[in-house]
Amino acid sequence: MEANERVKDTEEEKEEQVWSWGAGTEGQLGTGKLQDEHLPQLLPILPSLSLLSCGGAHVIALTPDKKVLTWGRGTSGQLGHGNLVNSLEPKIIDALNEFNITHVSAGWNHSGFVSECGQLFTCGDGQFGQLGHGDYKSQSYPVKVSFFSSKHVDQIACGMRHSLVLLKDYGDQIYGFGYGKRGQLGISNKVKSINLPQSVTGLKEININSIIANGDHSAALSENGDLYTWGRGFGSKADVSSPNLVISPFSFTQAALGWNHALILTDEGEIVMLGGRHHGVLNSLQKDNSVKQDSNEAHVEKIHGLDGIKVVGIASGSEHSVLTTENGVVMTWGWGEHGQLGLGKTCDEISPQVVTFGQHQDMTSKVYCGSGFTFVVRTLNHGMEL
Amino acid sequence: MSYDDVEIEDMEWNEELKAFTYPCPCGDLFQITKEDLKIGEEIARCPSCSLYITVIYNMEDFTNQKSKTNIEPAKQQPVAVA
Repeated sequence: MEANERVKDTEEEKEEQVWSWGAGTEGQLGTGKLQDEHLPQLLPILPSLSLLSCGGAHVIALTPDKKVLTWGRGTSGQLGHGNLVNSLEPKIIDALNEFNITHVSAGWNHSGFVSECGQLFTCGDGQFGQLGHGDYKSQSYPVKVSFFSSKHVDQIACGMRHSLVLLKDYGDQIYGFGYGKRGQLGISNKVKSINLPQSVTGLKEININSIIANGDHSAALSENGDLYTWGRGFGSKADVSSPNLVISPFSFTQAALGWNHALILTDEGEIVMLGGRHHGVLNSLQKDNSVKQDSNEAHVEKIHGLDGIKVVGIASGSEHSVLTTENGVVMTWGWGEHGQLGLGKTCDEISPQVVTFGQHQDMTSKVYCGSGFTFVVRTLNHGMEL
Repeated sequence: MSYDDVEIEDMEWNEELKAFTYPCPCGDLFQITKEDLKIGEEIARCPSCSLYITVIYNMEDFTNQKSKTNIEPAKQQPVAVA
């Protein structure tokens, strides 16, 4: 069946474009240059991609035949090539060639890879225990996390200095390790850091579909559309060290975390935001007009300026946000100092602005964000979807 | 305005930069040297952007001559130096 899929994929030769922009001084844009780009750059040489994950300044890409490419900052070993150097161009991780990789995540300076048979591999910065190997060592090749040897790992989510793991089997489904001072490990007692996975408390009876980590935040989205967050508090809220249900009348289908905000997509194609007090006003923080909030619940705010446009995908950098609509339109807002909004300038935007790519209109877009940069994979809408 | 307040124990010593560092949301690092800390400087800047953070630390930890070892204050309360 897989083999068939693979053949189909190459036969169809669906036209795919990979675009990037924003902070680029570590080679993370894949443009072959070490510079910021304020406008979308079309990358010429990337093969077809099935999943991207962008970290502090590196990118992990998954190809349809389940191989892994990385590029960008490599000074902590996060590219998995066995060295500590940056790579300006996408390079296959040879050490993972014998595995079929189905899920990946890029953190600030570390990386996680999940194989088809449920094994987890990590590399990069391990100073805070975020690799989960029971030590504080960094690794320049992906190393199997033996804690999960007899378990089936489904997903990995890497934050600034911590990692979350989602298992396929229900029960103790989510694990956390790494830096935990802000409560992001979800293990109820706030430890400075742990180097072996520990089960996240309080989600036992809930079927989780996906996990998300960025900055000092953690989140999990349940099968029935509930979002739980833990770690650093949003806005003026206190830190939370166990999963906290986001109370809202909406049912959620996707979530993306920044360093100070969360974007959440509702089943009706609308976006709400948590925190984000500084979002889009970073360059003019003096204007800081902190909203006083009495309740202890996270404040859910609707994004304005979308006028009924249906959103199908979201992504969040540390301080900027990206969405894509059902028509493949890409919009950005938030912090813009490095051109991460792709609008040809470096100013901040407090509401979503349309990014221009030129030519093809009828495309589907998938959006991804690293700390200060953005990637968009656009696919031409002709022929059948796989 | 400062992007964030960060305790010195949460910063990393970077031998190459000879500075304490902390991740900046742009992808680079906020940086502050021991010399800066010794004279009471509390702002760590990012060389790539306009953002900066406020470092929370005890100045005495850096003014003692033998300050190079054990920067991590075991249990003592960090105090902001104003």
